[in-house]
Amino acid sequence: MKMTRREFVKNNAIAATATAAGVTIPGMKEVLAASEDKIRWDKAPCRFCGTGCSVLVGTQNGKIVATQGDPDAPVNKGLNCIKGYFLSKIMYGKDRLTKPLLRKTNGVYDKEGEFEEVSWDEAFEIMAVKWKEAMKKDMAANKGKPADKLTSSVGMFGSGQWTIFEGYAASKLMKAGFRSNHIDPNARHCMASAVGAFIRGFGSDEPMGCYDDLEHADAFVLWGSNMAEMHPILWTRITDTRLTKEDCEVHVLSTFKHRSFDLADNPIVFHPQTDMVILNYIANHIIQTKAYNKDFIAKHVNFKKTPTDIGYGLRPEHELEKKKTGKGGKLSGISFEEYAKSVEKYTLDYAHEITGVPKKNLQRLAELYAHPTKKITSLWTMGFNQHTRGVWTNGLMYNVHLLTGKISQPGNGPFSLTGQPSACGTAREVGTFSHRLPADYVVKKKAHREFAEKIWELPEGTVPGKPGYHAVLQNRMLKDSKLNVYWVMCNNNVQAAANLNEETLPGYRNPDNFIVTSDPYPTITAMASDLILPTAMWTEKEGAYGNAERRTQFWRQQVSAPGESKSDLWQLMEFSKYFKMEDVWPADLLAKSPQYKGKTLFNVLFENGYVNQFKQQTVMDDRGNKYQNDEMDDFGFYAQKGLFEEYRRFQLEGAKKGHEQADFDTYHKVRGLRWPVVNGKETLWRYAEGYDPYVKKGEGFKFYGKKDGKANIITAPYEPAAESPDAEYDLWLSTGRVLEHWHSGTMTRRVPELYRAFPDAVVFMHPDDAKARGLRRGLTAKIISRRGEIEAQVETRGRNRPPKGLVFVPWFDAGRLINKVTLDATDPLSKETDYKKCAIKIEKA
Amino acid sequence: MSKYNICSALVHAKLEQIDSVKQTLLTQEGVEVHAQTEDGRLIVTIEDENRKKVGERIMGFYEIEGVLSASMIYQFSDDDFNEQESLETKPAQNKPSQDKTILDENTKERMSA
Repeated sequence: MKMTRREFVKNNAIAATATAAGVTIPGMKEVLAASEDKIRWDKAPCRFCGTGCSVLVGTQNGKIVATQGDPDAPVNKGLNCIKGYFLSKIMYGKDRLTKPLLRKTNGVYDKEGEFEEVSWDEAFEIMAVKWKEAMKKDMAANKGKPADKLTSSVGMFGSGQWTIFEGYAASKLMKAGFRSNHIDPNARHCMASAVGAFIRGFGSDEPMGCYDDLEHADAFVLWGSNMAEMHPILWTRITDTRLTKEDCEVHVLSTFKHRSFDLADNPIVFHPQTDMVILNYIANHIIQTKAYNKDFIAKHVNFKKTPTDIGYGLRPEHELEKKKTGKGGKLSGISFEEYAKSVEKYTLDYAHEITGVPKKNLQRLAELYAHPTKKITSLWTMGFNQHTRGVWTNGLMYNVHLLTGKISQPGNGPFSLTGQPSACGTAREVGTFSHRLPADYVVKKKAHREFAEKIWELPEGTVPGKPGYHAVLQNRMLKDSKLNVYWVMCNNNVQAAANLNEETLPGYRNPDNFIVTSDPYPTITAMASDLILPTAMWTEKEGAYGNAERRTQFWRQQVSAPGESKSDLWQLMEFSKYFKMEDVWPADLLAKSPQYKGKTLFNVLFENGYVNQFKQQTVMDDRGNKYQNDEMDDFGFYAQKGLFEEYRRFQLEGAKKGHEQADFDTYHKVRGLRWPVVNGKETLWRYAEGYDPYVKKGEGFKFYGKKDGKANIITAPYEPAAESPDAEYDLWLSTGRVLEHWHSGTMTRRVPELYRAFPDAVVFMHPDDAKARGLRRGLTAKIISRRGEIEAQVETRGRNRPPKGLVFVPWFDAGRLINKVTLDATDPLSKETDYKKCAIKIEKA
Repeated sequence: MSKYNICSALVHAKLEQIDSVKQTLLTQEGVEVHAQTEDGRLIVTIEDENRKKVGERIMGFYEIEGVLSASMIYQFSDDDFNEQESLETKPAQNKPSQDKTILDENTKERMSA
């Protein structure tokens, strides 16, 4: 029997789809098994969002030609969303960068020059000259200062898309090598508020639940999350549960109607920022109706209050900052009665009046949470996090679940979803934030720094103790010439950061600064830089990500990167070879470790006997297929494995529990494991007896991130947004994503299928608002704020249907940069920007 | 050598509307429905010379009355594809199947070729 190649591929497509449907097509399997597949298949986590779907990657003749939803993956069970579907194409955009590019005039570096191709050696030479200049100046300024007073003009902006190894190497290079805490990830823009609330509430980062909740729950509540578009595979799982489980219900809350409302039993559109009122109203309802779990509260909860009127994280000279009366987030203890009193004013009448939501919808929601037995999973993403009171609001959600004890149980729990593939695994767990060290340790605590110094074999006082500049502050400090050399890796922050004209671009083009961007494509960040480094992406390198349910997943290198492009990991490690220890550390510090004198930074950080302990080997899967590892070939040791095993020491040798990972080799064999992995077993629900190995028999629950094992209910009042509509700027602007594109569109806009499906950003608005401004669907509108303006076509139909008074504009489109319009107001606690609220006006273009 | 693109999807339709969903799908160029499950899921492939249109077509599935969800499963594209290259196969062992999948006629034909 003969089959053409075309038939073979088609039969594969049909068979894969049948498998995902849980059916077999008679005879199909045998036909395919009997044919010789020229494609080599291997698993990899998807490159895009925080869901962490696994895909099968098909490679042929050194090129990725096919992808398939991984039928053995517990996360996505063979399914893909449209972005994951076209993964094979993200690496093959026509404008891939293949050589380093430096701005030059007459053959020498010139900030005002044009980009010219240079060698890696020339690129790193000029970078090293600039870095050494900056550090020389810093060392003079820091003379005689203790570790917690050190300053630096060296900065780095990293990513929740870095692999675990890359994030770890970057953090070590910056904090130990260059002795600067000015390293922050783009996860600051998406997850910082979630982190702040986890630490305040539970003393340990990351959600307590896992995706198994999506089948266990009796009810789902979406708070500021459009899962139908942003987490479509998880949404498919919720849809299945809703359609097959009796009495299952779905509540969807947002400031505008979107696709997730199609499944909503209780649709709620509230006025921006008033989610805080709804949450306090629910808490009040639970208390008034005595629906709280007395026993759980007595045993497992402390009550606290937080300082109020804390400002909006703008520059100190801004009017709003001068007006604030409170500061910071220092908690003080209160009684249950005091807590009850603090939410007393959030009655149904008050909540209805402030939020604009019909009473019956509010009541139905409150009664759901107060229900004695219904298992509820609350889900949120940027609606809570990108919020000037993001830490408070995440906390108000925890209050509701803690009051009723509906937490850390299958189907019962608050679930903070993530937007990036390794926001949890890299940015948060590795601690690539300006205040963090790996595994929840922080730079400001001396004991924590000493622990890091011990593992890294550094003299005492190496790691600086002052938290560095966070993402938003980095842009301000570049503009103010306080940060002078800056490396942007694995993100597109000129497009992503708020208030582009006033606070982002000026710092990049400031003549005092040297800006380097590593990227596979010429993004607007790359084009705003002085040096561009071509970068290997996704399966062009070996990698590891950690998803929103604490699942760590590995992949092998499948193909070579084009031209001279190199992985972020290679770039970080190779660059360290350009420094002698005398260039980066002052003499008094070096005198404490004389064995490091004359050594390179590479010797001390990566050739330290630990990271380089795993010799070169062949990477092979269980079917005997061999894979390349370009970094191993270059450095002569298994860098990914060495870095991961050194990183694990933070989880295994310290006092903090609950961060443990399995050993490196295990992850190449499994479809991921959810940390903490203790005695080879993953943890599905944290803090609960029977699920979490750290909770003893009879304890029931133990929130062991806190010393007394109790979680915090933290009261916080509703406070208004930084900028609300007024007579002139009369509309709210909310920004976000669409299903077809991921973040700034660097990858998805280069996939022809996805580009065509949603080519340009549009402004979604109410038809009456459009009409009142002489506009209608398809006409071009000007979207204007106090900071900038863009033009976009009006859309009054389709997937997003804002109420009157609000418009929504997605931010993926480099041709319509909505962040020229947004405001860089942040949560003063988490420093995360509120991209969901500012005041604008709309005119006919 | 030629260009070849194929995608497959699992389209979940409301049972009472499955026939009309199927009819609408079949009117679209390059779309085939190979099988349907008892609970209303359709196994669909899309082949198209103009691959740019494929994304648009799939997103269009959501707009069809009666479609609950569309999940993407398998995607292949090769610009240097030797589609007539023949692959030797051993005769398929035709194992009895308990499956209640309803096979489309074309797929049946392909399987018995």
